[in-house]
Amino acid sequence: MTLELRSVEKIYDMNSVAVHALRGVSFKIARNEYVAIMGPSGSGKSTLMNIIGCLDVPTSGTYLLDGADVGSFNEDRLAEIRNEKIGFVFQTFNLLARSDVFHNVELPLIYAGMRPAKRRQLAEEAIARVGLADRMTHRPNELSGGQRQRVAIARSLVNNPSILLADEPTGNLDSKTGAEIMEVFDTLHSEGNTIILVTHEDHIARHAQREIRIFDGLIESDIVQSEAA
Amino acid sequence: MSRIHGSVEAFKIAIAALRANTARGVLTTLGIIIGIVAVVTTMTAANGLANNFRESVSVLGTDVLYVSRVPWVIQGRFFQFRNRPNLELKDCDELARLLGSSVVVNPTDDTRRPVKYLSEVIENATIIGTTDKHMLVSSAVPEYGRFLTAYDVRFKRPVCVLGTTMREQLFGDVDPINKNIKIGRAEFRVIGVMEKQGSAGFFGGPDFDSQVFVPVTSFVKEFGSRNRSFAFAVKAPRGTDVTDFEYELAGEMRKIRRLAPGEEDNFAINKMDSLLDAFNNVMGVVLMIGVAVTGISLFVGGVGVMNIMFVSVTERTREIGIRKAIGAKRRAILQQFLLESSMICLVGGAIGVALSFAVAEAIDRFVLPASVSLPIVFIALTVSVVVGVISGFIPAWRASRLHPIDALHYE
Repeated sequence: MTLELRSVEKIYDMNSVAVHALRGVSFKIARNEYVAIMGPSGSGKSTLMNIIGCLDVPTSGTYLLDGADVGSFNEDRLAEIRNEKIGFVFQTFNLLARSDVFHNVELPLIYAGMRPAKRRQLAEEAIARVGLADRMTHRPNELSGGQRQRVAIARSLVNNPSILLADEPTGNLDSKTGAEIMEVFDTLHSEGNTIILVTHEDHIARHAQREIRIFDGLIESDIVQSEAA
Repeated sequence: MSRIHGSVEAFKIAIAALRANTARGVLTTLGIIIGIVAVVTTMTAANGLANNFRESVSVLGTDVLYVSRVPWVIQGRFFQFRNRPNLELKDCDELARLLGSSVVVNPTDDTRRPVKYLSEVIENATIIGTTDKHMLVSSAVPEYGRFLTAYDVRFKRPVCVLGTTMREQLFGDVDPINKNIKIGRAEFRVIGVMEKQGSAGFFGGPDFDSQVFVPVTSFVKEFGSRNRSFAFAVKAPRGTDVTDFEYELAGEMRKIRRLAPGEEDNFAINKMDSLLDAFNNVMGVVLMIGVAVTGISLFVGGVGVMNIMFVSVTERTREIGIRKAIGAKRRAILQQFLLESSMICLVGGAIGVALSFAVAEAIDRFVLPASVSLPIVFIALTVSVVVGVISGFIPAWRASRLHPIDALHYE
């Protein structure tokens, strides 16, 4: 089992009013699953994503990632876990604007403390995988939206994470480019990666094999789809 | 291993960040540059003064004691010395007799008089009455011509020897030997010019190059003996301990002064050391004040850097969020911003040191011999980095404490 949530709750203290973002969420995701997490805004979907991505910890309940109880980790341990096991793809790409493609992709490996030669090799491989080998020295502002998202995907892949966590990865792209990006995810899945998509768009969610719907901090439905996609 | 790579990377990141904001970096550095120039110049000037002083005082020689009515360095109230009797020339003769022929005793006194050659006038020149023994108690040597002789002294001859500055100012390119000059109202014939000695004039101390030496007898004859107290330069014989000799000297002086046992000395024995001690004390205080005052400008520069680092952290909140999301630990972020601020300051410090060399050059040319020493450069650069680390710490700490989610969503 790659990750498992057991009755995870998250309560935010907003001006001393307790806001229950998650109210007992439990599910498991196995290796090489392709999961879409869906829900309207305010459903707790983003909170769930932050917890799965180890950017935040549950108020109560257990989150096991590769068997480790991540909920008890301090911030630096969480940073390590994010570095080793999570690959993020954000809606707004979140690339370093002043750094070129190579440096952006290399960055997680720097924080992993890897030697420069090894870094170069892995980063170049990842960039080649998303088809940007000829854009290595370009800066993000010299790239199209689709290309930027590919750079972000390369960065998320470079440390060979346990899960790829994509938050509305096509949200800032036109539909054609969005479709191209989704093809990249489909390919990555077929190559054995575990992918979690957070989205509110049905046609994006349809790429996944499993759909977890969140509403009001609870799981509304958890359906494994037929191999339609 | 990973820490070393991390440092190299943090270094690259800092350079990239500085490049991205060159204009702002330069402006920020300005405060540090000014601060470093101020501190380095102060230290260099103080160093120059100290060396200059030591060099010129060393003319006096460590084995020479100076008997005078009032000590050179007065501690306590001045008036307690007021009623001491003068030291007269006959006291000097008696002292020489008591100490024996192996000891050189030379009486001197000085006065201020205008010195005139044709139309050139130097007001307030220092006129020294001395004897042929002057050469034995100081390292002064004539450059050309000759010094005073026993004969000149004995017969009160109206001859004089010029310090090198005096010669320059009065005679320019003209050969001064055997020319007559007027000292006050009396005529003196120039018989020699002294070698350059260097000056402690900057502190109101003696400027050995601006002196005119005349026989002490002529001095008394022309400028009067009333209320005149001489100083006796006494050279310890070779091989005697100077401290022991000082006791002996004090004993003989007490005899001359007819002091009963238990009565306090009514004369003073001075050494170059006491002058140096006094100087070092004063210099230490001056240096401390100087560094404190100039340090304020460095402090202001540091505040500027801190300000810019706060701006930098705020501007790059999102970047910090990204870095944290993909695995940067707090220490990595802290290191990144500390390195950035220390590099700003180091660059400023380096520029400041470079400018200080120019300033020191100017001081050297126009005021007094001074040069920026290597330790001062080292101190300045270290201080720059320390200022960088200190002023960068709070912003960097704040950056490292940002929550990744908040930072990522910062607009």
